[in-house]
Order: sequence, then C-alpha cells, then structure tokens
Amino acid sequence: MAKTYDCLFKLLLIGDSGVGKTSILFRFSEDAFNISFISTIGIDFKIRTIDLDGKKVKLQIWDTAGQERFRTITTAYYRGSMGIMLVYDVTNEKSFENIKNWIRNIEENASADVEKMILGNKCDLDAKRQVSKERGEQLAVEYQIKFVETSAKDSLNVEYAFYTLARDIKAKMEKKQEASNPPGGRSGAHQLKANEQQRKPTSWLSRCSVL
Amino acid sequence: MSDSESVEKNGIEVSNEYVENGTNKLIVKCKFCGSKMLDKKSGTFVKQEKDLPLMQQETGKDAEVQNEKVNEFYHVENMYTFENIGFTHTVDNYKYLSCADCDAGPVGYYDMNTKHSFVALSRINHA
Repeated sequence: MAKTYDCLFKLLLIGDSGVGKTSILFRFSEDAFNISFISTIGIDFKIRTIDLDGKKVKLQIWDTAGQERFRTITTAYYRGSMGIMLVYDVTNEKSFENIKNWIRNIEENASADVEKMILGNKCDLDAKRQVSKERGEQLAVEYQIKFVETSAKDSLNVEYAFYTLARDIKAKMEKKQEASNPPGGRSGAHQLKANEQQRKPTSWLSRCSVL
Repeated sequence: MSDSESVEKNGIEVSNEYVENGTNKLIVKCKFCGSKMLDKKSGTFVKQEKDLPLMQQETGKDAEVQNEKVNEFYHVENMYTFENIGFTHTVDNYKYLSCADCDAGPVGYYDMNTKHSFVALSRINHA
C-alpha cells in the first residue's frame, strides 16, 4: 500500500507519577469510557494523525506511566524519540522540582537533538495551585524550552502543545536537511559540507523523508 | 470450512454495505465518541474466529475476563495506517486496540509476532 503520511514522529510523555500524563493522551478525560478492561492493562502508546501546515503527520505518543516510579526512564524508551513532553502538576510542588531531574535523565539517555516542551498540567485547579505560572515560565527560560500550562480535564492547550512540539521537530528536521543539502548553486565548500553530513551516522532527522 | 468461506477469508469478492473490493468502503469510527480510527479503504476485510474481551466487563470480585467470539475484522498491516488508535501493554503476545480519544475498547488486537492489527467490525461504527 502506498504511504499515506508525510512524517512520523515518536514522542514521549515524561514526568512524576500522578501529574496527568495519561489524561493528556485523551480528548475526553472526565467522561472517558471508564471501563475496567483497557484501563487495567494500561495504554502503551497511541497513534494520532495531525495536519501540520498541509503535511499529514503521524504522532506515536508513548506514555511512560508506571515506569516513572523508578525515577528514571531507561535508554530503550528514549531510543528514536524525537520529542519529549515534560509534565508536572501545578498543584504539586515536588513534581515541578523534579522537572530538573527529568531533564538530566533526558540529557543522559536521549538523543542530544530531541525537542522538549514543559507542560504545567491541571491548571484548572487554581485553588490548589502550588506552582505559579511565572515559575514555570522561568524554568522554561532557564532551559530554553517552550512552556505552556495545560488542563487535560478542560482540554486546554493540550492540542496546542502537541502541534507546537511537532512543528518544532519538523522545523528542526527541515533545517538539518537544508544544511546537508543547501539550495541554490553548490560551491566547493558547500559540497564538502554535504559530504561531511553524509558520513555521520543517520539520525532520526533524516528519517522523515525515508519513511 | 466451505469454499465460499475460504474465498471470503482472502478478502476477495466480499461486497456488502460496508465492504467494497475487499476493503472498508467507509471511514471507521469509534462507536462511542466518533473518533476517526481508519480512513476509507485502509483495512482488508477478513473472516476469522477470535476471542475478544468484552468492552463492558461485568464488575465483581471474580477477575475472570469475559470474552466473546468475533468473526469479522479489518486487517491492517502497518500500524501507522491508523488515524487515531491506542495500543495497550502486551498481554500474551497481543496488544489490544482502543479508541485514542475515549479509551473504549478493545476494538481489536495487534499481534506482536506478525505486527499486524485486526479491528473488529462489530466494535466500531462505519461513517
């Protein structure tokens, strides 16, 4: 069968237990199908299809729920991942402080060019809030990562977050492709650069066009 | 098994209100929330008998999983053919398929050996 999509991005949801990672994967969290069978076994990953500036993009989103209690996610889980959503709960100070640990875990295990985004989830629970939006923004600036507050319950900013991360991955990918394949006349210098790129091991950035 | 059944099994010459030229004529959607699972013509109709856990399990102390026999499926070779779908953790070399938006399921299963997915016609809506 002919390929029916343009790009495939593997994304991970990471953060402390109970911050709402699994809920972020739903469109309807409250009136979800509350059925024992699927929830007992648990979701490993989901496939979602989005239209990104006219391109059909498949997102394979992995929920790391259940593993986070080991405080680290293994290298195997990070393998091939192109984007990571770092999730904390705005009503849980500890989950916010742990974002730094998760970032360290990513730096130690994931590909260096993985795109990241920080999500402050449960922002609908204003009365219980322990982490201000400003602190979230500050952390994001410190690490130069994009940030948004979300409410999986109210479907607030969740879709926006996935589009933003996917768009950043796509942009990075196109930039890399351009760098290894400069448009316009090819001077000797450019040619050399292109050859250098080819000698490097293939990263996921070149994979989109191959799929 | 009769000859006519084996012909059907290959997805050939099956035509009804949902199947045309062996594939799904219509879009496959979640029965409960309408989330789009498969585009038109992306699954091959197959007949095979499989035990599939019920979508609504009776609650009780007895942890026994209740199954039913399902006979008609759409066969999807590549998981990325799906528009929106959830995959559960693996149980006995299978992953169960669920709605990506409302978690309803199982709507089918994924075989870890063949890497192929099967969506039960009785568990989805055509639109």
